[in-house]
Amino acid sequence: MKHIKIRHTVDTVITYIIILAISLVFLFPILWLLLASFSRSGSLYSFDGFFPTEYSLDSFKKLFTDTALYNYPRWFGNTLFVASMSCLFGTALTILTAYCMSRYRFKSRKALMKTTLVLGMFPSFMAMTAVYLLMTQFNLINSHWGLILIYSAGAPMGYMTQKGFFDTIPKSIDEAARIDGATNAQVFLRITLPLASPMIVYTLLSSFVWPWSDFILPQLLLKEKDLYTVAVGLMSLGDDEFARFAAGSMFIGVPIIVMYFALSKFLISGLSAGAVKD
Amino acid sequence: MTHPKVRKQHFKTVKEIVKRANGKVVCSACIMGLGQFLYRQWAKGILYLLIQIAAICFFVFVGAEAIAGFFTLGTIESNAWYGIEGDNSVIMMLMGILAFIVLAIYLYFYYANIKDAYAMQCAVEQGKKPRTLKDEMRSMLDDKFYKTALFVPIIGVCIFNVLPIVFMILIAFTNYGPDVKPPVLIDWKGFESFIKVLTLGQFAPTFFKILLWNIVWAVLSTALNYFCGLGIALLYNKKCVRGKAFWRMFPILAYAVPGFITLLGFKFMFSYGGPINQMIVEAGGKAIGFLDLDAKWSARGIGLVVNCWLNIPSSMLLATGILSNMNRDLYEAAKIDGASAFKQFTAITLPFVVFATTPILISQFIANFNNFGIFYFLRGGGLIADGYFLASDTDLLINWLYNLSISNDYYSIGAAISIIIFLFTSAVSLAVYVLSPSYRQEDTYQ
Amino acid sequence: MNKFITAFSVHMAVILALIVSIGTVATLSKTQGEGAEKFTGELERNVTIRILENDTAIKQGYLKELLDAFNEAYAEYGIVAEDANMDQYSDLENDGPYGKGPDVLYQPNDQLMRYVPDRHILPLPVEELDCYEAVGQAAWDAYYTKVGANEYYFGVPVNVQGPLLYYRKDLLPENWQEEWDENDNEIPDMVESWNKLYEFSLERRQGNEKFGYMRSFLEPYFSVGYLYSYGGYSFGNNNTDPTDIGYSAGEAEKGGWVIRQLASAMNEWCIDDTITVNAYSKLGDGSYFATMTTPDVYTMFIDEMMKNGMTRAEAEENLVTAPIPMLPKSGDLTEEDPELIPSKMMGGVNGYAISSYTKAPNACLAFVDFATNYEMIKRRNELLGIAPARADVAQEIGGLSEVIQNNLEEGNIVIMPSIRENAQMWTPLQTLFTDLAKDPFRDADEMKYDSLDKIKAALERVDQQVYDAIHTLK
Repeated sequence: MKHIKIRHTVDTVITYIIILAISLVFLFPILWLLLASFSRSGSLYSFDGFFPTEYSLDSFKKLFTDTALYNYPRWFGNTLFVASMSCLFGTALTILTAYCMSRYRFKSRKALMKTTLVLGMFPSFMAMTAVYLLMTQFNLINSHWGLILIYSAGAPMGYMTQKGFFDTIPKSIDEAARIDGATNAQVFLRITLPLASPMIVYTLLSSFVWPWSDFILPQLLLKEKDLYTVAVGLMSLGDDEFARFAAGSMFIGVPIIVMYFALSKFLISGLSAGAVKD
Repeated sequence: MTHPKVRKQHFKTVKEIVKRANGKVVCSACIMGLGQFLYRQWAKGILYLLIQIAAICFFVFVGAEAIAGFFTLGTIESNAWYGIEGDNSVIMMLMGILAFIVLAIYLYFYYANIKDAYAMQCAVEQGKKPRTLKDEMRSMLDDKFYKTALFVPIIGVCIFNVLPIVFMILIAFTNYGPDVKPPVLIDWKGFESFIKVLTLGQFAPTFFKILLWNIVWAVLSTALNYFCGLGIALLYNKKCVRGKAFWRMFPILAYAVPGFITLLGFKFMFSYGGPINQMIVEAGGKAIGFLDLDAKWSARGIGLVVNCWLNIPSSMLLATGILSNMNRDLYEAAKIDGASAFKQFTAITLPFVVFATTPILISQFIANFNNFGIFYFLRGGGLIADGYFLASDTDLLINWLYNLSISNDYYSIGAAISIIIFLFTSAVSLAVYVLSPSYRQEDTYQ
Repeated sequence: MNKFITAFSVHMAVILALIVSIGTVATLSKTQGEGAEKFTGELERNVTIRILENDTAIKQGYLKELLDAFNEAYAEYGIVAEDANMDQYSDLENDGPYGKGPDVLYQPNDQLMRYVPDRHILPLPVEELDCYEAVGQAAWDAYYTKVGANEYYFGVPVNVQGPLLYYRKDLLPENWQEEWDENDNEIPDMVESWNKLYEFSLERRQGNEKFGYMRSFLEPYFSVGYLYSYGGYSFGNNNTDPTDIGYSAGEAEKGGWVIRQLASAMNEWCIDDTITVNAYSKLGDGSYFATMTTPDVYTMFIDEMMKNGMTRAEAEENLVTAPIPMLPKSGDLTEEDPELIPSKMMGGVNGYAISSYTKAPNACLAFVDFATNYEMIKRRNELLGIAPARADVAQEIGGLSEVIQNNLEEGNIVIMPSIRENAQMWTPLQTLFTDLAKDPFRDADEMKYDSLDKIKAALERVDQQVYDAIHTLK
């Protein structure tokens, strides 16, 4: 018994060492960026080694007060709006698509699956010209809704991940409910969705992150500086503004971290349910 | 693409309708909804009639002109100096494709309308009541729920994904280039761009060199991302780990900051004046050009590592989500049988995860194959390597394509090359996909 | 079968008949617009025109002053000018035709002239403008082009961009008047000749702490001038003939040799863009003695020097801008008493152009006229430190503005080619310059450019690459 306990302890220690190492690898560049944003000189190359020599809050102050040319608070609001809307619509469409592709057998299903796979292979920037022209015709240039439309419409293309997940949920659960007289729509809403909560969280996060950090599409469609999203805005900063760039980059991460913590209990809900059984 | 058996059945229905349809059904073929009226299905009749009226309005006011424009690509050149508003060839092509899509949708409804009328005929012949609109609606929420659910996504994907791709494919058959772009009128040129691409001497060596590296890159980076992500997810899932949500936060940090920002950060770190070289020099070494012109393999290696750093967090999240759905009983059973942890992993965890993630693996492979950002940001995208035509030795096909088509405006040539690449990559990944267990045996875990 | 064909035909016939009949009516009612001259001289009333200016002008408050002054002057016509609120480099070709572009654009000449072949900007009646006489011919030439038999000007020059040498007076050796002023003209020799600057750089160098002249070679804009100085050129026939590419022309390889020597006096930072980014802070803290850049970043050096403890007055006293030093005719920076030739550097002319898609061309012209008048240009210089294209303003303020003005007229500032193919030159050149700059840091047996012939061959390769980029795919 003691022997097992020792082995267990060693295992735990090693596990923690690896976890610490991984955490450090992921933390370090971010920490570096964070400290750079507090640099007093504003320039990266005045650092001694990795970190700035002097710290101050100037870049953050500038970020939120000096808005004549770079209106960061406004960009932030724009991005938040676009990303949350696209996240909601995109997730709904993706989950719905994945569910149908996993649960139904209809005649054009396999063809659809293969087509979406193949469509994803086309170099996307080549199609950007067409997207731009299309939006000029729909009069959606300089409009956040135009962006939301494109993000949401494109989201179901990535349904494969979610379908893979639905494929692992036993069908017997559905069938039991069907016997009780529920329609397919009801089965989906009341039974499958709650079971899929980890996958929904993943989808929510990833469909939030995409519009949140994308800069190609907003750069294409948003011409007015006041409408910019954070990514486009940061890219438009001058060479000499690294500290401000770093500060702006830090804030961009905050909503995603918040979202992660708010949703993490759903992400691991399945796990904890399993753990209770032990 | 349709399954042969399905297609056969399809033809059978068409044949049957043609042979057996009565006058009322033919009326529906003449004016949509008329047959339904004759069967006293007013609601359905009105619906089909409205569709027909809407379609006619569309084609009369916009569609017909758009389709004509698709073939001519414009006849009047505009001259902005004198305010002459002429034709914009690319817009005409785009609207033409859109009109064809609408036409296809219309024809689908037209066919559905005849089929519906025929179904009524059959029902009446068998002495049953024809299905009403209400019946149909109910079925749309039940056994045909997929039709309701997929309608919006499919329309969206058609307009914002398929249409642009079709547009780009068609561009390859025109002379759209640096000297021929709106307001200059564009013309259809058939296979001219393809011939140019295939006969150019400088072209083939660069293409194959880049292709080879691109494949190596895609395989390596996908494998690394996938297994590291899975490994980390399993590690964090271990029972002995307390505060899982907290530990998981660190990779999420990397996920939270947009990729292009961290890429610019990494580029700086590895630059000559960056912190890494600073430390090397302070330790008495010589500054290393990690990403400079001569740094073929070190730049490639850094690209791989940085790409891992960027993508592992999302693989980890995904694997965590999938693992949480695993049937715990299997482990219990395995434990009772005395299986080792390693055995449990290879016999239970791995097959399950691989099954659930093969499609993801393929889509990650595609994403990595077409990973534009990594070397564009890391190496600035402004170098030409020896023996390459307008590309550097770390460029992937997509970067090269960007240099050719976007930086230099060679749209038709770029489109032609992307079609060639596209045919190649889609054939490979389609083959892998069709052969994979998650495609062939979708029902394993259901 | 038959009945279905009939039914389908009837169905199609109805639709086609409707399309044809209504279509004909629509075509009849549409009349072809006849082209008309846009600059009638009659100001449009109650219009708003959108002005695209550069970021510095917005940041320093110049644009606001300009707009306020203009709006006041033209209030009686109801003409209002406003900030277009767009990216300073935004491409009119993408925005204009769809009605999203600005009405008046301030951009560099190479970018503005790219809009000409497809008629995105209007030819201007420049003789009517207040600044017509005051701006020199060399600046106007940047906006000149021939379309068919007609000659046109498409932009109105505002300021000349050309590189300058920035150095710290307080970092000169104490005894420079005795040791470093052989011609006794009260100007240190090291800012007059590259040979002396090279010598001084080697002398001042202390590991990675202290340097003399520092400048990244990565950017062709600042490096191609060395090739120009020895007879190289971008495109033949005054930068208008894209079939003739001449980076290797004349004795351009000597320019490459100069780059290689200068790099050896720096460290590896000159290979990538490290110095471009850190020049401000490193000059500010005294690590660098001198660097080369454009006039508009003057204030950034001052800011950095103030961060290192100087007052504004001290910083302005110690930061000196000078014309680019002379080059040795031999291309050898170690030569004693060399024969000197002037440095030719790449430059540009920034100016205003009017979008073809504007609804109020005459109001736009009035705006351009207003913005390029004597007072506004002078004000622009005061706030932004630019070198005006107007000779009268340049003369009055004197100093560097006059130097740049003269350099332009004498041909020592080579204006960026205005032809579209210009876009193809940057990548091949950048590759060569980074390779040249790296050469001194390679091990002796790996050096690629240790003789003039090798550099010549490399330049010829660049010519070929640029040529290929322009022509192979056509």
